[in-house]
Amino acid sequence: MAENQAQRLLAGLRSALAEVPLLGWLLGMVAAVIVEYLVGAPLARALGLGRVPLLFGVDLLFKSPLLVPSALAYMVLVYALPVGSVALVTRPLANRAAEKLMVLSPVVSVVVHVAVFYVGLHSWALLNDYRVLVVKLTLLAVMLTLSLNLVNGYMGEFSCSHPGFMALGAYTSSVLTVVAFVGSERFGPPLLPSALGPFLFPLALIAGGLVASLGALTVAIPSFRTRGDYLAIISLAFMLVVKSLIENLEVVGGARGFMGQPDWAGLTTVFVWAVACVAMINSFVRSTMGKALNAVRDGEGAAEAMTVDTRRTKMVTFLFAAFWAGVAGGLYAHVMRYVNPGGFGLQKLAELLAMVYLGGLNSVVGSAAGGVGFMLFSEALRPLEIYKWIIIPVLLILVMIFRPTGLIAFREFDMVSLVRPKGAPTRRRGVPHVAAQD
Amino acid sequence: MSRRVGRLTVLVAAALVVVFGAAGCGATAEQAVIKIGINAPLTGDIPKVGEGTKYAAEMWLEDIEAAGGLEVGGVTYKVELIIEDNESKAESAVAANTKLITQDQVLAIIGPQASKQAVPAGEVANNLECPMISPWSTNPRTTKDRPWVFRACFLDDFQGPAAAKFVTEEFGFTKAAVLYDVASDYPKGLAEFFKAAWEELHGPGSVVAFESFTTKDRDFSAQLTKIIDSGAEFLFTPQYYDEVPLILKQAHQLGFDKPIVGSDSWGSAELVNLAGEDCYGCFFTTHYAAAGATGATKEFIDRYEAKYGYVPDDVAALTWDSLHLIEQAIKDTGGLTGDIEADRKAVRDALARIKNFQGITGNMTFTEEGDPIKACVVVRINEEGEFEFYKFVEPE
Repeated sequence: MAENQAQRLLAGLRSALAEVPLLGWLLGMVAAVIVEYLVGAPLARALGLGRVPLLFGVDLLFKSPLLVPSALAYMVLVYALPVGSVALVTRPLANRAAEKLMVLSPVVSVVVHVAVFYVGLHSWALLNDYRVLVVKLTLLAVMLTLSLNLVNGYMGEFSCSHPGFMALGAYTSSVLTVVAFVGSERFGPPLLPSALGPFLFPLALIAGGLVASLGALTVAIPSFRTRGDYLAIISLAFMLVVKSLIENLEVVGGARGFMGQPDWAGLTTVFVWAVACVAMINSFVRSTMGKALNAVRDGEGAAEAMTVDTRRTKMVTFLFAAFWAGVAGGLYAHVMRYVNPGGFGLQKLAELLAMVYLGGLNSVVGSAAGGVGFMLFSEALRPLEIYKWIIIPVLLILVMIFRPTGLIAFREFDMVSLVRPKGAPTRRRGVPHVAAQD
Repeated sequence: MSRRVGRLTVLVAAALVVVFGAAGCGATAEQAVIKIGINAPLTGDIPKVGEGTKYAAEMWLEDIEAAGGLEVGGVTYKVELIIEDNESKAESAVAANTKLITQDQVLAIIGPQASKQAVPAGEVANNLECPMISPWSTNPRTTKDRPWVFRACFLDDFQGPAAAKFVTEEFGFTKAAVLYDVASDYPKGLAEFFKAAWEELHGPGSVVAFESFTTKDRDFSAQLTKIIDSGAEFLFTPQYYDEVPLILKQAHQLGFDKPIVGSDSWGSAELVNLAGEDCYGCFFTTHYAAAGATGATKEFIDRYEAKYGYVPDDVAALTWDSLHLIEQAIKDTGGLTGDIEADRKAVRDALARIKNFQGITGNMTFTEEGDPIKACVVVRINEEGEFEFYKFVEPE
């Protein structure tokens, strides 16, 4: 009898949760962050954690495993319960709001969702500088993974030059901002008042992206005449060339690295760029050219026969991917406020490739999952020192065996359908299904 | 539906009561612990450096624990080391530093060792106002304009002049030759510092040969012939241990029998293995010498060797000194308040005030920039192929 009741309760809960729209979950996230601010610190002390666990307790996993149950309790009390209950309680409200937004315009609805997500993320991160840094690096990892996925996943080629593109973007934008707004012993006093800086910073990043694209052109011209392993070899060479070029450029500090970048890559800036990157790459792969790209991957000759301009498609994609790698590199330089050619070598390449293949080929969600997952995993495993570099490759091998294309591969990402209201009342009233054609 | 919502409200209320209730009784006093963060490259390009750092730190902790803790202003504190791996990556070093400072609430940080991690990590330590000592980073930018960041090794703008001074005093030579790699940052900088110092001592033109090559060059006979023809009385070559044996062998084959002097990049056991007899009798400037060490230095080397099975390199010795510097600074504060920010400030100020600290790598006093004024050790490679202490070159 009691069992029956519990089952009914659970089933009810499940169907209720199914009716929670994305907006409801985001509101729950904001609520959880508020709860953390109010009771996080004393609760963590009471549970014996000492301080608020920073990354959902993953950093405790191997450092002090005895604290993991407490960390789990903390997760349930501070995150799961508030998120769940707020999502449930605000369900009718959130559905109505989502519906109103959708009627207004799907674009507005997406923007509002992203904004609410940002409010939650930012306030969550603000509790601690370490969180801010990890969130920034994770967003950059997502950007890089996604742009590499364009080439290695959507286009089906194998490119190794992403660290090189990153380095080009990083150094270009760093030199621009330092020359224009900071000044240094080598470059003399700043050319422009630093008050203008934050407004012109995006231009410096775009310039970094464009230089990276230019670099991509030198790889693309010789290697896209053929198909196969050539791109892998040429792009690997390109990465090494860029690295040793910078090492020998005394103007930018050579092997000693380049520093003095202004502190403009705040969480907001990085977030806005990451969202722009995801949105643009997502609409690119869903466009006609994106479909043509998939056709090229699956059979270049067939695509050519079906009037796809394969050469142009490949060129544009490769340059587009390089552009975003350059922008991410520029942001990276301004997050770290120091760049060193040694940081754009084989190790970086291995990390990026791991993120792409772990997350999933040909998939925006997969790239995000790969970037976030790898970063969290990497932070969690760091206390294991050298064993970390046994576990991560083994995991990659397992992924390759059981899911050869990655965890979430070949999945289309449709933001508009995600933000749609859920549940019965909505369907009755017939909300315009704008992006239903996919 | 409304009933379900009602039930949920009760649930949430209950959860909140539990949360606040638990929070109320959680106010237990924290034990008096001093936490020191170690930011070391345990994995990545230079794991041996990370290992030396970790071992030296563990030996230091052993001493503290044997003494029952660290006594500061009459109170004995337990000391805890928090070792973070920076994977030889700049971003991990920055993440580790941020975490050590904001989450683990360490009083001070030792590390990172290599400049490419120490420069960005120093930025974090300086912004978040936590004292940091990099034992091994020689890039001037690590400490430049950063009042919270210190280092335990001397810089190349001291090492170059120290080598010049040593040769002048020891041999009374006036004509120098320099052979260096123009494409590598460290040799190039050091060669230039040496040249400037030598010309200041002996007048312009006293460096009679200033010859260069590029990384990965393996044949130096052209440059060495020029050097021999120039009539130089000795050769200064601030190269790494993989090039030095080739330079030495080729110089000797060409008949160069005058003294050859090097820099701290020579300080690897590999050098002797590769160069064999060719390196016997050569000199180089460095941070410390293992063979023929006396007093505390010898004690450290013997203990380290007994425990870990090999002679510690300069990273381990410099880390050891850095930890003792921090220990000294903590003691000098005269007592900790328990407020971590005030304590960090006190430790930083005490560190900046330290005068004539007796370290195993020499006596140290910090400059305004947080760089130590310390003596440079001159090592002679003896006929057993050991790095033997020869003499100190004191700073001006």
